[in-house]
Amino acid sequence: MENLEALMHGFGIALSGNHIFLMLIGVLLGILVGVLPGLGAPNGVSLLLPLTFGMQPVSAIILLSSMYWGALFGGSVTSILFNIPGEPSSVATTFDGYPMARDGRPSTALATAFGSAAFGALAGVVLITLSASWVAQVALAFGPPEYFAVYFLAFASFVGMGGSPPVKTLVSLAIGFALAAVGIDTVSGSVRLTMGIDEMVKGVSFVVAVMGLFGIGELLIAVEEEFHVKAISSKVEWREVFRTLAGLPRYGWALLRSAAIGCWMGITPGGPTAASFMSYGIAKRLSPRHANFGKGEPEGIVAPEAADHAAGTSALLPMLSLGIPGSATAAVMMGGLMIWGLNPGPMLFVEQKDFVWGLIASMYLGNVVAVVLVLLTVPIFAALMRVPFFIIAPVIVIICTVGAYSVSNSYLDVMLMMGFGVLGYLFKKLHYPLAPLVLAIVIGDKAEDAFRQSMLMSKGSLGIFFAKPLVTTLILLGAALLLMPTIWRTIGRMMPRPEARP
Amino acid sequence: MVSGRSLEAATALITGVFGAAVVVSSLDNGIGWSAAGVESGTFPFIVGLVILAGSVFNLVQGWLHARVVVLGPAELRRLAILFVPAAIFVGVIPLIGMYPASAFYVFGALAWHKRGSLLLAAVAAIGAAVALYLIFELTFQVSLPRGALGTLLGF
Amino acid sequence: MSRKPTFAAIAFGLAIGFAGAAHAAWQPAKPIEFIATAGPGGGTDNFARAVQNIITKYKLVDQPIVVVNKAGGSGAEGYTYAKAMAADPYKVVFGTSNAWSQPLVSKVAYNYTDLTPIAAMVQDEFLLWVKQDAPYQNVQDFLKAVAAKGPGDFKMGGAQSKDTDETLTRLIDKAAKVKFVYIPFKSGAEAAVQLAGGHIDAHVNNPSESIGQWKGSTQRPLCAFSPQRLPDGPKVTATQNWHDIPTCVESGLAIPQFQQPRTVWLPGKVTADQAAFYVDLMKKVQATPEWKEYIERTSQTDTFLTGDSFSKFIKEDIERTRKVAVDEGWLISN
Repeated sequence: MENLEALMHGFGIALSGNHIFLMLIGVLLGILVGVLPGLGAPNGVSLLLPLTFGMQPVSAIILLSSMYWGALFGGSVTSILFNIPGEPSSVATTFDGYPMARDGRPSTALATAFGSAAFGALAGVVLITLSASWVAQVALAFGPPEYFAVYFLAFASFVGMGGSPPVKTLVSLAIGFALAAVGIDTVSGSVRLTMGIDEMVKGVSFVVAVMGLFGIGELLIAVEEEFHVKAISSKVEWREVFRTLAGLPRYGWALLRSAAIGCWMGITPGGPTAASFMSYGIAKRLSPRHANFGKGEPEGIVAPEAADHAAGTSALLPMLSLGIPGSATAAVMMGGLMIWGLNPGPMLFVEQKDFVWGLIASMYLGNVVAVVLVLLTVPIFAALMRVPFFIIAPVIVIICTVGAYSVSNSYLDVMLMMGFGVLGYLFKKLHYPLAPLVLAIVIGDKAEDAFRQSMLMSKGSLGIFFAKPLVTTLILLGAALLLMPTIWRTIGRMMPRPEARP
Repeated sequence: MVSGRSLEAATALITGVFGAAVVVSSLDNGIGWSAAGVESGTFPFIVGLVILAGSVFNLVQGWLHARVVVLGPAELRRLAILFVPAAIFVGVIPLIGMYPASAFYVFGALAWHKRGSLLLAAVAAIGAAVALYLIFELTFQVSLPRGALGTLLGF
Repeated sequence: MSRKPTFAAIAFGLAIGFAGAAHAAWQPAKPIEFIATAGPGGGTDNFARAVQNIITKYKLVDQPIVVVNKAGGSGAEGYTYAKAMAADPYKVVFGTSNAWSQPLVSKVAYNYTDLTPIAAMVQDEFLLWVKQDAPYQNVQDFLKAVAAKGPGDFKMGGAQSKDTDETLTRLIDKAAKVKFVYIPFKSGAEAAVQLAGGHIDAHVNNPSESIGQWKGSTQRPLCAFSPQRLPDGPKVTATQNWHDIPTCVESGLAIPQFQQPRTVWLPGKVTADQAAFYVDLMKKVQATPEWKEYIERTSQTDTFLTGDSFSKFIKEDIERTRKVAVDEGWLISN
């Protein structure tokens, strides 16, 4: 209960007019960078950083973390409305969010996303509040073999859930791995797969790939199939927003499970992206409505959003207490901490009580501010769906182009993005799944690094993955998830089905 | 007209060529085990082989099974109307820069669909360029490409 | 948050006035891009942003300055970009010694000769760190423990592969006749956490990468790879500050000096006037109180190498790196 006392003290610090104002500004700017693909929270935070040098550290971190919350929420908007995920962690939100919006229910989709995201964030902060001191220790148990096991678990829970032809899934996954390997390899320092293009040494950016595959690819599908967005219901949008929020408790179990997955992946090194994919994959397997996933199922929005925000929030804990940033944005904030004269590490919680608990209190408040603000914007964003296609199409092309360019001021990225656009169209048309490719781009090289680091440590023996209880459990869990569909199918075949539902 | 067969074949060829390139390129990095652990080409090599084998499978599979026409003239026309201007837009960026390219693109798209007057289209076009400038250049300090034209004008 | 202008700042302002008048040969006429060859939050990024802030605060340049991160390929992205921007005096690259050491060991598409050297402004120090509860109290005990185990059983972690951390590890190998297995991680901060968790046995982080962990008693430094002890300062832990850590030579590990310079470059083919402008600008930056603050905060060592002294430094460093690279078989033929 010592922590609760400290938290109350923290609220005393965070609840000043000045700080609430900073939260508002931070959240608004965050929503803006989150909505614009290619900009993202890391850019926004690094731009604000110089402004914070004259501030008190606690005010500075409140401003920056509020921007982070805003960007996390904003990132889901374009995923849902235009199938363009602005951040890696909102890719999984497109799977059901976009179909629902296209179906004429953008307000419902946005409100579901924001509501579950807020729940996830809350779960993350509660976890930090109650167990700040010892949860950080959990992360210390993770060496290279454990890292590899966590990535393996994320893949296992997501890949292998049917729908697409298995060979096409495999090709898609393998292409993702190959793209992740482009550039300089961490373990050997050598240059790989640049195909003779010098600039490729920087690697293939996730944002570039996703903007082409999802944004441009979907645009081509839409125009070819003459897809028209269904007329948006003439209902009062506000009522729809409230009705959706009031209906969220129906997904209570999914919310809790997803938040738990998110917290776990945020503290262990998995991160928000792996968390959202994993949560989606598990939800699809466990849900009684699993056949509906991918077609606008609310649970398919709830699962990745709650997990993403729970992970994004709890990822700040390893940053503060260990000095390892759980996300790109956390890395920038960590640079900020050093500039303000604070050293992230185990002593921060002891030496800088005001700062740490002020920040934690501001996480509660900042998320409340963020969710209120984004909910207010739902009708505005939903109205974007009414803009005629012939206007929105060039706007999306321009946004994707500028977004791809601004990742690293490179024209090559723009060309790549267009190439990915064509590939995305072909893949979608021919039922190659895109999600495994994206997941592999994001965590493929990390998984490879962890595997090779483990091999260095064990001098080439695979036994290292079964040497300690933690890593063995994770690997076995992953293997079970990977084999589960096959096992179920076999059991299903052997036993007569009690009820045959279409 | 494009049949499912040729579309499948084309896609399998693209992925197959990519897979082959990955295999060849990874041989440069060395595969197998060395004093420095697993060599850096090993993993891409395996992945490349998977892509290659999968592509061959998909090629055969597609050739045998997908005979129906999937893209008729109407579909191809609609695709071209979207893709050709977009490709031109991207293509001229190095020449005239992002701002004029976006303005022309928006203007062209609105004028083509003949809804609203040309004046409106022109206003929207300039508005798009200005919005880009305000958001990216001023607010977020991302300088968008000026193109050869920009260099010429010293912008 | 306004601060009263200190005497130093006023004197400094006057100095700028004079210096400005003396070097009016070339002045920037459009916004300047600072290219940090590391991700946001990394040491090189902090360096670039510190310089940017000082310039902006004192209005040392009339044009706005934008920091861009080009961290891909361990920095190769930024250098390759600068190579492609030859003769453009509005791109300033901030990096480390990897500008010249990376092309020795990786097939990257640039060499440091493609760039115009401006200055080396800071030397970041290296220390040998072990876990807090490790049995050895000094370098001698530590090296004995390493030698007692078989080759490849003692795990040294570090940032990146074949870069400064691994080079230093191999130098220790040679100086102490031992053999570490080197595990490369993405960053020094990551290596520090791996040490705290006991997954590796040691690392050679910079002070700023491990100060938080030292404060938090998860790891401690055994010795510093510097010619003399690090400067005196406030206590980091309850009992010690940086000055209390012996140099490695003092404690019997014969590596007198190993430092990482933070360097500033322009693209190739810029005019002498343009290069001179930036050399001068960096000198002005270095004279500010904010710069001193930056140096102290990050526990680095102030230095200013430019022109011949910088070239000489680069040559010496290349010689040393090449020796290690040849012995380890890293050298590539470009």
